[in-house]
Amino acid sequence: MLADRPDAWLVERCRDGDEDAFAELVRRYRTPVFRLAVSILGQEFAPEAEDVAQDALLRVHQAIRSFRGEAAFGSWVYRIAFNHAVNVKARSRYRAPHVGDEVLASTPASARGPHDRFEDERRRRAVHACIGELPEVYQAALRLHYWLDTSVSEIALMLDAPENTVKSYLHRARRLLHVMLKERGFDAR
Amino acid sequence: MPDDDAMDRLLRMALAAEIPELSPGFDARVLRRVRPRRLTPRGQAVLALYALVAAAASVWLMRDLPVAFIAAAVTACAGVAAATSAYGRRLVIDG
Repeated sequence: MLADRPDAWLVERCRDGDEDAFAELVRRYRTPVFRLAVSILGQEFAPEAEDVAQDALLRVHQAIRSFRGEAAFGSWVYRIAFNHAVNVKARSRYRAPHVGDEVLASTPASARGPHDRFEDERRRRAVHACIGELPEVYQAALRLHYWLDTSVSEIALMLDAPENTVKSYLHRARRLLHVMLKERGFDAR
Repeated sequence: MPDDDAMDRLLRMALAAEIPELSPGFDARVLRRVRPRRLTPRGQAVLALYALVAAAASVWLMRDLPVAFIAAAVTACAGVAAATSAYGRRLVIDG
């Protein structure tokens, strides 16, 4: 069973042109690679993140003979995906699409009053804008943790950093956001 | 820390959204792109015929030229053909 084999064994088979081995690697890494990509591009860009994930896996296939096994295969895959996503983002200058007031007005009513809902939405938009100004690794760590519900240990694998470093990314990102939001007239409550 | 906790709650609220999933055909699309593309037998026959006709036409056109010139032309053309072929393969893989 290919599913029971370690990455290193599958990589060796891939080098010999075994398509089934590569299919198993795709099955193992498709979701984390996609999540890493979408955490870099942003919430509105899931289709683009899928393209990035596809391209990253194709690059992995293309370069698999040059993988020397000095680092874990997963780290190598995530590094390819991270670099590709950052390049695509820089090239395309992804920005959150503008949400007009008419969309805001059509937000389904909740138990809270319209003023509260309007304030929540303003704060939410401010948070997204501030996140977009953070360094890429902070953005990715925040989206992976708070949106995609990824554990710190998984984020550490994806960003190829020790767990303590990821915790520090999250802590520093929260601190920076706090300051940035304050400058825009928002508090964190 | 109270600030950290408040920011934690705010981030959970602000980033709360549906978690996207890959489309169902993702694996098939990736694997189709890595599969080596082979010409059909008919395609191979057409390509072989083209190569023969091109070689014959070249020999006929260059029949009066010095041998050194023919050798240089063949070498240069072979190099250009190899580079173009490699570039084409890369385009197919990179999409």
